[in-house]
Amino acid sequence: MSDLDRAIELLKDCKIVPEEQVRDICLRAQELLIEERNIEVVDTPVTICGDIHGQFHDLITLFEHGGQCPDTNYLFLGDFVDRGFYSLESFLLLLCLKVRYPDRITLIRGNHESRQITTVYGFYDECIRKYGSANVWRSCCDVFDYLALGALVGGSGGVFCVHGGLSPAVDKLDQIRLIDRKQEVPHEGAMCDLLWSDPDDIEGWGVSPRGAGYLFGGDKVKEFNHENDISLIARAHQLVMEGYKEMFDGEIVTVWSAPNYCYRCGNVAAILTIDDGLGRTYEIFEAAPQESKGMPAKKPAADYFL
Amino acid sequence: MSYRFPSHDPEPLYSFTSESLGKPTVSRNGWSVYSSKRPIMTADEIDRATARIGIPMPEMIFGKNYIVVAHESGWSLGFNAVDALDLVVKHGNPEGGLVKVAYSEAWMNDKKKTSDEVHQVVKPFDWTYTTSYQGTPAPSKVTWEPTSQSIPLDKLRRPDPILFFEEVVLFEDELGDNGIAMAEVKVRVMEERLLLLCRLFVRVDDVLFRIRDTRLFIEFEDNTILREYTVKQDSYENVKRKIPHSARDSGLFLRDANWIAEKMPVIQTVTEKSALSSS
Ligand SMILES: [Mn+2]
Repeated sequence: MSDLDRAIELLKDCKIVPEEQVRDICLRAQELLIEERNIEVVDTPVTICGDIHGQFHDLITLFEHGGQCPDTNYLFLGDFVDRGFYSLESFLLLLCLKVRYPDRITLIRGNHESRQITTVYGFYDECIRKYGSANVWRSCCDVFDYLALGALVGGSGGVFCVHGGLSPAVDKLDQIRLIDRKQEVPHEGAMCDLLWSDPDDIEGWGVSPRGAGYLFGGDKVKEFNHENDISLIARAHQLVMEGYKEMFDGEIVTVWSAPNYCYRCGNVAAILTIDDGLGRTYEIFEAAPQESKGMPAKKPAADYFL
Repeated sequence: MSYRFPSHDPEPLYSFTSESLGKPTVSRNGWSVYSSKRPIMTADEIDRATARIGIPMPEMIFGKNYIVVAHESGWSLGFNAVDALDLVVKHGNPEGGLVKVAYSEAWMNDKKKTSDEVHQVVKPFDWTYTTSYQGTPAPSKVTWEPTSQSIPLDKLRRPDPILFFEEVVLFEDELGDNGIAMAEVKVRVMEERLLLLCRLFVRVDDVLFRIRDTRLFIEFEDNTILREYTVKQDSYENVKRKIPHSARDSGLFLRDANWIAEKMPVIQTVTEKSALSSS
């Protein structure tokens, strides 16, 4: 059994991998990812997965439903880390699978694969807690910088996959191919938009009420799909109670793969398989019972609040 | 595609009627507490609530959760998400008054450079979901008047056995990964009195913190009913400065609403009393 296979076995049991080995895995992943294009081309059939957010046991359940890698070809839309309690195990398992079966799993970047966001939303703290130093967090962040920004599934009439959505700076996929992606996610520009934007029931482009970030309407989705000869945009980034939500006559879908998000939302999760004829099959699954072990109890502890 | 959502799930709650509440979880001296804890709303329910309230719903909206405190005479005050959201500022101008994320200016400037398309801020509203909600009263049964009384903290500090405790989230939003807005209600019922706290907690990263607390106190013996509404706000910097220097993980402090609540100045407090109708 190779070191890598042993690491995969360890991680599948939700166990920690020694720090030196994490560094090694991250370096090998980086070597692979540096060769990838900004938009990776992926063959059908492929199973597309949305946000994971450190819900490790649910990721294991996902593989039980979708089939194990490498038997099933996977594409993950980013946001592997933060919020959940096992960001480290989740991300490292995906990374090990990437190194072991590079042609059977594609990882693209979500807005949480960023130094700044992970220091606020849990991944940094988790690394400190589990390793006592920030070394592992640093190694992982270096990998984040190399993740592809999107993927194209199935050639002509296929599926464009991205974490957030569209950008007003991008009409053609070729414009994404020109981005220098090997950097921390910037606060503005095309790369930022692809990871952060959301579809909305508006016409054209809108600015989010938060004063930063784009919203895009159905007309923009249709223009983009027509211009680039694609039939669907598959994105993640937003929680959906039903696990997935198609909008704009089925030209865009949000796929969400973290069931019972944050251990309290009660939502189901979905994964989307695109077959050779570009047909779509959604598989729905619920939270793993294990994922709630050691989590905040259902009955809250009485507290003498004032 | 075989998964089916339970069809018996009730509709989200917009106001409280005795039929919709079911059985109380605890009763003392004519007072009862009702509570419900359910999953977030479905996409259809969210669409309907959005149409009703007129602003986009928070990411995690627990529309079927509630805590209601009711007296057998018909007096009641309940807390639910949709009524709370109805009191969020639904219009306004991001250039004046509404909060913006820390990097808004940089983002807006860059936008002007790179694109000549006309961009409007879509339906501006208070996206931090700051609400002045102080509960949903039973129609025409509840009136409030100002009082100089205050909630007797000494009595509440006593470690009297807690007969019933519940905590429900009304809504939570990650503010597009720019912080958090969370509305939560908890209640504890002791032998002689009860205390309920509905807390809205807002953190906009690198910008500000906000707290809106509504406390409901009831003394069973004489049916004293007091409600206290407290507004707190401070800059992110000011709160951050109060983290002990010895702290290894400052993030823990900045996520702890209780710690933050103690560190922030009170902007406004209003205490009111109510009474049971004598009829
Ligand atoms: Mn995201």
